[in-house]
Amino acid sequence: MRQARFDNIYELKTKRGVRLFTKSLYRSFRGFEEAIIKKDGVAYREVDPERSKLFAAVAKGASQIGIREGSSVLYLGASHGYTPSYVSDVIGEEGKVICVDFAPRVVRDLVFLCEKRENMLPLLKDCRHPETYQDYLPEKVDVVFQDVAQRDQVAIFLKNVRAYLKRGGYGLLALKARSVDVTMKPEAIFKDVFKELERQPDVTVVDKRELAPYEKDHILFVVKRR
Amino acid sequence: MDWQALRQRALKDTKRAVATSVDDDNLITQAISAMEDVDRAANTLTRRLREWYELYSPEFSKAVDDNEAFVRRVLEKPREEQLRELGLHETMGADLERADVQESERLAKAIKALREERDQLESYLDRVMLRRCPNVLVLAGPTIGARLLREAGSLKRLAMVQASTIQLYGAEKALFRHLKTGAKPPKHGHLINHPLLAKAGKEDKGKVARALADKISIAAKVDYFKGEPIGETLKQQLEARFG
Repeated sequence: MRQARFDNIYELKTKRGVRLFTKSLYRSFRGFEEAIIKKDGVAYREVDPERSKLFAAVAKGASQIGIREGSSVLYLGASHGYTPSYVSDVIGEEGKVICVDFAPRVVRDLVFLCEKRENMLPLLKDCRHPETYQDYLPEKVDVVFQDVAQRDQVAIFLKNVRAYLKRGGYGLLALKARSVDVTMKPEAIFKDVFKELERQPDVTVVDKRELAPYEKDHILFVVKRR
Repeated sequence: MDWQALRQRALKDTKRAVATSVDDDNLITQAISAMEDVDRAANTLTRRLREWYELYSPEFSKAVDDNEAFVRRVLEKPREEQLRELGLHETMGADLERADVQESERLAKAIKALREERDQLESYLDRVMLRRCPNVLVLAGPTIGARLLREAGSLKRLAMVQASTIQLYGAEKALFRHLKTGAKPPKHGHLINHPLLAKAGKEDKGKVARALADKISIAAKVDYFKGEPIGETLKQQLEARFG
């Protein structure tokens, strides 16, 4: 087990490739049938990059993800909470992750998860309307992560970045080309969105990672707020 | 406000929000999906029952094509009577012990119960749809209406999407194949099972599906915004044109 380039993320080299783990914040937590390796009194939870766009980007060698020990994270499109649970491991006891999703079905699972993990907070809200959850965000956050697979997801992302991201904070946009436009070539969409992000006066693109083969037609953009 | 207090408040508010998000649309969605699951299960089990029962009475199974009738008559009539009805004196079937035959008959009973469950679900759907979307119900019937509502996600969305979207719900695979590769566009999705489409000639199916989707779209809007009943009028217009 070897520390990766990011806080609380570990790699294990095996014959069949590299497996990714996070140092588990709760030693007895296991919520997604994930493999757990215990070593020297520390539990490591395996994360499957095919189920997590964030960790797909880590596996593809992302240069920065902005999420560190102690970070506060606004997580849009939290779904059942698979990736958020690992974000919760990475940020540790001092960090916070505010999880937003607008589908009641998945938020049901998310609530059960957040009850078990003290640095997670669930919200049943539509991230198209950031003002609807301002009461739960008294301070700006270090990271905005978005994975929502909506046609207007870039606009939604920028709205939330402007409302809630600190200056110098990181915005992560997991873009699904197929939900922006099924008829266009994914590469063309990636290019358009890249240009659109570059045009914004208040953000700088610091990394982009296509997520194939873990996730088809997806890309993760990392921007920094100026 | 400190983090734990904020978190507790969010947990409480979110639980409340999840609870209050449940409405008739969720009930309709679950009921129609349960009905489809029960149908599928009954069909799978009936195929198994045929294989099993054919060891004992193959000529009878061969003679009764309809699955429902097959299950019913396995339970109603002993083999001798089945054969007599077919005018046969001999059978390819094995002379099984009564106890062995009874095992397969128990499966038949379970299948019969599943079919009854299916009918109950359909009449339940009918009742919920009658209070939620009476006009869509009149035009589309409980099963097609419920499927359209499920694809849309809610009556609100069904009232908002274009009629052309309603026309193609249930044909997503063909639609995206068309968009991606330029293959022939689909003419209808769930609507294919509607009596008006069943009656229409091959050339007219697209036309009928389009008109029907238009009327269902109007009905959904009336249902969502709680207007005056209009379903019967719309239905008559369609029948006058295509009936």
